Amino acid sequence: MRSLDFLLAAETEEQVEKIGETELLVGIPSYNNASTISHVVQAVIVGLAKYFPGMRAVLVNSDGGSTDGTPALVANASVDFEGLLISAQESPLQKIVTSYLGIPGKGSAFRTIFEIARRLQAKACAVVDSDLRSITPEWMELLLGPIVFEGYDYVAPYYLRHKYDGTITNAIVYPLTRALYGVRIRQPIGGDFGFSGKLAEHYVEKDVWNSEVARFGIDIWMTTEAIASGARVCQSFLGAKIHNPKDPARDLSNMLMEVMGALFFLMEEHQDIWSQLEGSNPVRLFGFQYQVALEPVHVNVDRMLQSFHQGLADLAPIWEKILSPSVLDSLRQVQSLSPKAFRIADEVWAHVVYDAASAYHHRAIAREHLLKALTPLYLGRVASFVLETQGLTSSEAEERIEMLCQTFENEKPYLLSRWYSFSS
Amino acid sequence: MELLETFIQTAVLEPLQIMGSRLLAFVPNLLAMVVILLIGVFLSWLGAHLVERILRVLRIDPLSQRLGLTAALVRGGVKIPPSMLAGRIVYWVIMSLSIVAALTVLRWEPVNKLTESLFAYIPYFLTALFIIAGGFLLSNFVAQAVLIAAVNASLPPARLLASCTRWGIQLAAIAMALEQLGIAETIVVVGFGIAFGGVVLATAIAFGLGAKDLAKSFLERRFSPHPEERSQDDLRHL
Repeated sequence: MRSLDFLLAAETEEQVEKIGETELLVGIPSYNNASTISHVVQAVIVGLAKYFPGMRAVLVNSDGGSTDGTPALVANASVDFEGLLISAQESPLQKIVTSYLGIPGKGSAFRTIFEIARRLQAKACAVVDSDLRSITPEWMELLLGPIVFEGYDYVAPYYLRHKYDGTITNAIVYPLTRALYGVRIRQPIGGDFGFSGKLAEHYVEKDVWNSEVARFGIDIWMTTEAIASGARVCQSFLGAKIHNPKDPARDLSNMLMEVMGALFFLMEEHQDIWSQLEGSNPVRLFGFQYQVALEPVHVNVDRMLQSFHQGLADLAPIWEKILSPSVLDSLRQVQSLSPKAFRIADEVWAHVVYDAASAYHHRAIAREHLLKALTPLYLGRVASFVLETQGLTSSEAEERIEMLCQTFENEKPYLLSRWYSFSS
Repeated sequence: MELLETFIQTAVLEPLQIMGSRLLAFVPNLLAMVVILLIGVFLSWLGAHLVERILRVLRIDPLSQRLGLTAALVRGGVKIPPSMLAGRIVYWVIMSLSIVAALTVLRWEPVNKLTESLFAYIPYFLTALFIIAGGFLLSNFVAQAVLIAAVNASLPPARLLASCTRWGIQLAAIAMALEQLGIAETIVVVGFGIAFGGVVLATAIAFGLGAKDLAKSFLERRFSPHPEERSQDDLRHL
């Protein structure tokens, strides 16, 4: 059901009316990204001119009230096509630079983009982050091409990442999404997506814009909603993703709360779908795959282990309300191991995540407390993964993640039993 | 003989008559008191039963378990579920009111005065009860939040911080409740102010002297303009 409180700014309404229709639409959400947004906009302009020269296209910048001149940079960004050996785009690119309405967050920025796509009856859309440093014009071909030429509805990104980059994705989001919905989308919360106009309309019709989705969790919501709605889903290989570091003040427990909160919220929404599914299927991957040197990632395992041990000592009364006694026993046994031998087994970790999801569903404790209390457990699992994969290549580490995903799939009956009859 | 008759009349029969007439006048009041008491017993039972059933339908017992209220009651020696406890409270509140109402019927001046005072005190008593209950629930919730935040920030005295938070809020609630009840208002406020101020001062001194390195490190981490320089690892979680 569509909420009725959403309107575009008057100026944007006029601009949309003037443009009328478009075939392609690229959205860029932003908030104080002056240092990177010009590069992103230029890559989009070049990509559209190079790969979709005869098609009408609109670039939408949905800004959250930047004070560093980000919208002006978008409006003024231009490209010297001759220098790039590209004949100029046949249909000039239209730009809409607008401030989004609604509660602050990436979700509200995306809502504005979806709404404009709906009004312009766009056939294919893409969204890219405004802090990207590694975006190239080819990203436009890879995100829009499968929709325009192959009839797909949703394109998820596939990045090359260091084995210790994106640990929440590797330890929780990918295994859980894959086990729940039966599709192997490697980067469900990548941030750069392609989607059809039909799917954009589906998104904007959903009544989630005053919920947690509008503030955070829009990435996993888009992916899950695409799968759950039966859309044709694929992936595109985008190479390495290099972007500005996220806000350092945003601490891990908040990040974890946002991602896991959105995942569990969606589990409640779609329990009729995921409870029926077993196993998983590969998802088609577009794009030429290649290897690049990745930035090294330094990890402080001792600090993570210390956090896990403190959690076990201090948060035990809370964990007792979330985890089953057998899982808690397994974690207590791990505690006695030496730092080098420290391991949280895949099965135990899968049970931890499934117990947490069930406890969230049954409101075993206040939800915010539940999600934040998982931080030491998550750090323990990351430490275990790092200790286990030290010295392994990225592809060998990827095999370990594949094994974890398999365990999540095998243990799905455990989730079903806990989800429907929770007791701690 | 006449003298004896007069004596019997004035000294024995008249007092007996007066006592008899007073007794006769008192009997209806006594009966009314018994009736009010019986109605009170019935209403108490009905009210308690209704409250208990409604709270069970509203699943207050599992909720209390999640909020830690049941565990706290058990620690305090109350081994019945909160719904039953609420039922019993309602029973004794209605029963007490019935007893007071029944005594009023007897029209004894001291009892009437006592009744008026008791009725005037009821709103304060209920307010105090709400403050205590609210303070207790709030203290558990906030203490849990503090414990989780402190563990996630790797602060070693996480449990101590959580306990201090719990006791601080509960003490504040008790002080406010006693103030509502009008019990030693000044002493409670002053006592609480001194105790709370003392705790804050002691904590500040202890933190400043005993944990200045920890404070320095915390402030550096919090306000350093170059967070990447102080980062011990560059793990990217998302």
